[in-house]
Amino acid sequence: MRAYRSSTHKSGSSSVAARIAALSLTAAITAVSGSAFAQTINVWSGYPEMAPFYEHVAEGLKEKYPDLEVNVEAIALREHEKRIALGLTSGSAGVTVIELAGSTASRYIENDLLPAAPDAVASFVTNKDNFGEFFVDAASKNGTVYGVPLFRGQGALFYNVDMFEAAGLKEPPQTMEAYTDYAEKLTQRDANGKATVSGWSLRLSGGGQGIAEKFWINLFQYGGSVIEEVSDGKWQANYANEAGRKAVKQYLENVHVLKTVSPEMPADAEAFERGQTAMFIRESWVIADIAAKSPDLNYATAPLPVGSIALPANLYVNAVEGEDAEAAWAYVQAANDPDNLVWLLDNVGWLPNRSGVDYGVVTEKVPAYGAFVDYPADYKFFTLPAIGPIEEVLTRLAAQLTNAYGDASLAEDDAAIDAMLAKAAEETNNILKREGLLAE
Amino acid sequence: MLQQKRWRFAILAILPTLAIFAWVRMYPIVETLRLSLHEWNILSKNKPFIGLANFRELFHDQLFLNALTNTSIIAFGVVILTVPTAMVIAGLIHHRTHSRFSGFYETSVFIPHVVSLVPAAMAWKWIFDAKLGPLNALLEFFGIPAQAWLFDPVLSVICIIVLCSWQALGYAVLIYLVGFKNLPVSLFEAAKLDGASGVQRFWHVSVPMLKPITLYVSVVTLISGFNVYAQAFVLASDSQGAPGRQVRVLVLDMLENSFRNYRVGYAASEAVVLLSIVLVLTLIQFGLLREKGRK
Repeated sequence: MRAYRSSTHKSGSSSVAARIAALSLTAAITAVSGSAFAQTINVWSGYPEMAPFYEHVAEGLKEKYPDLEVNVEAIALREHEKRIALGLTSGSAGVTVIELAGSTASRYIENDLLPAAPDAVASFVTNKDNFGEFFVDAASKNGTVYGVPLFRGQGALFYNVDMFEAAGLKEPPQTMEAYTDYAEKLTQRDANGKATVSGWSLRLSGGGQGIAEKFWINLFQYGGSVIEEVSDGKWQANYANEAGRKAVKQYLENVHVLKTVSPEMPADAEAFERGQTAMFIRESWVIADIAAKSPDLNYATAPLPVGSIALPANLYVNAVEGEDAEAAWAYVQAANDPDNLVWLLDNVGWLPNRSGVDYGVVTEKVPAYGAFVDYPADYKFFTLPAIGPIEEVLTRLAAQLTNAYGDASLAEDDAAIDAMLAKAAEETNNILKREGLLAE
Repeated sequence: MLQQKRWRFAILAILPTLAIFAWVRMYPIVETLRLSLHEWNILSKNKPFIGLANFRELFHDQLFLNALTNTSIIAFGVVILTVPTAMVIAGLIHHRTHSRFSGFYETSVFIPHVVSLVPAAMAWKWIFDAKLGPLNALLEFFGIPAQAWLFDPVLSVICIIVLCSWQALGYAVLIYLVGFKNLPVSLFEAAKLDGASGVQRFWHVSVPMLKPITLYVSVVTLISGFNVYAQAFVLASDSQGAPGRQVRVLVLDMLENSFRNYRVGYAASEAVVLLSIVLVLTLIQFGLLREKGRK
């Protein structure tokens, strides 16, 4: 614009001025065309701590795609879920790489909102050298690959070694019953007997399905599950039973009888890092969090008694055609580059899913990863089923559990616990029935 | 002919505004009503008509009933706390109109109304904190045991009422101040001559005369109380640490049903129930004000 003005107003006054004007015009056109043809992709994540990783991947792609602009937007998981629901249905998302659990992605795939991965990407995913069957299934639907596995949420016990030693505990608990014994020994109290450091930090409050997911992990140790597949595609609640009673009773016993923990006590990784709880069950990202926030903490990790949740997060792209889509899929594959995956484990702490990568450089440096990669041969895993109403099942169960955890009268009344579980299971089965998923 | 032209001009002039109003205000309401009669998961192209099934399910849904109860308690609790407090504070400020600090009084009461909700709620979250909060420190100083403000089912609702009232107070005081300034001075002078004390003048003259203002403030506060959401969300939120008890309110339940449970039709039926409640309250307000006008 500026170049055009100077050339019209000063035409013929000076050949130098005309040349400058022409050069300016050329530069302006180049700049405009450059920005018009620059590729732009978005990366949406539900874990704020993943932002540095996605930016790191984008940085690495600059050589191959110098004009590629990557907008990384990593926000809280619940907001991320809303953003996906609105962004994909309104078609306003642009070409976007979306990080999503396979269980949640199935809804979008069923409604044609997420396309199948290009052939080259699908071949990369199905190559047995790259991913185990569990992860391929989690990124696929009816045998078609839609996403690329990236990382997983897997639980293990984190415990404070100094507190264990002070309590005379030589090794981590091996059974769920031992967890309660340990919690009692580890709880630190004031002169009035009130807990000041919780023995075992349990998820007792808050909103959303997290409470039910954490309950499921404990329930799994007792042989139960929130829902189980009875026949092909048909499910039913599986916690109104002895396993469910034991799991709920353990929460209640710790809160109301032994008082090793209370809802208002500091909890989770933050409390662990500050020495306000002796042990808790969490995913591997806590390792990187501790390294950043409390590097001098003397802690260790241990596998859980029976097994753990393994919640795979995959990367999907909402388009397959066009240059931007091509760049987006290239980005997804670059995220699975061995160097990037080692960077992810080292700097963020989420466990990469790709096989055949040497993570030794990180796991040897940080022994705490041992519980996540070096577990017993018979160690079992479970994941959230890829069925539409799983979030509703868990959210509603979480509401029932929150009420139960706050009810001291349930603590020593097995019949009342059974009644509470039966009521919750009925609600779960009603949801499954409404969606045509209930096993008869 | 001229009359007709004027009419045509008036209609043409008002048409763009009406169109925008219809699009922005009316269409979403009609669409919400329509959606409430359909089953829709936000992702599907199909929206089967299911009649009143969503409403039938709603009144057997424990979470919805819980949300409705909590929301009603919060809304009426905020009115009960805010309206008398606002009237008294406005009365005191009005009494000190000629003081050089009157501007300061008005501003300090109004500030919470304009402060951004999230940082304000975070500050209240700290105040109510069971371990580190100054409220429990104060209670313990007087020998009262510390309370789990954000975790107890009853106390967590009270916390939201306090937070909402703190925010609503500034606006209510402002409206009452306008009301006080419009009261006829002669009545107060007459009451004073008759020997009425300040408190008696407030109770027997100001309060009855301010009835229309009280009605307006009550209904506006009640309606905003029924739309409570962010306060409940922030007081219970925490990425880690100890999140508070999630007090279930209607708007939160709607958001959960829409975007986590993918049941937009069902959430729309909740919105219709909320709309009906607000509509009834508004009609009551109009009715009472008309009754007052006739007298």
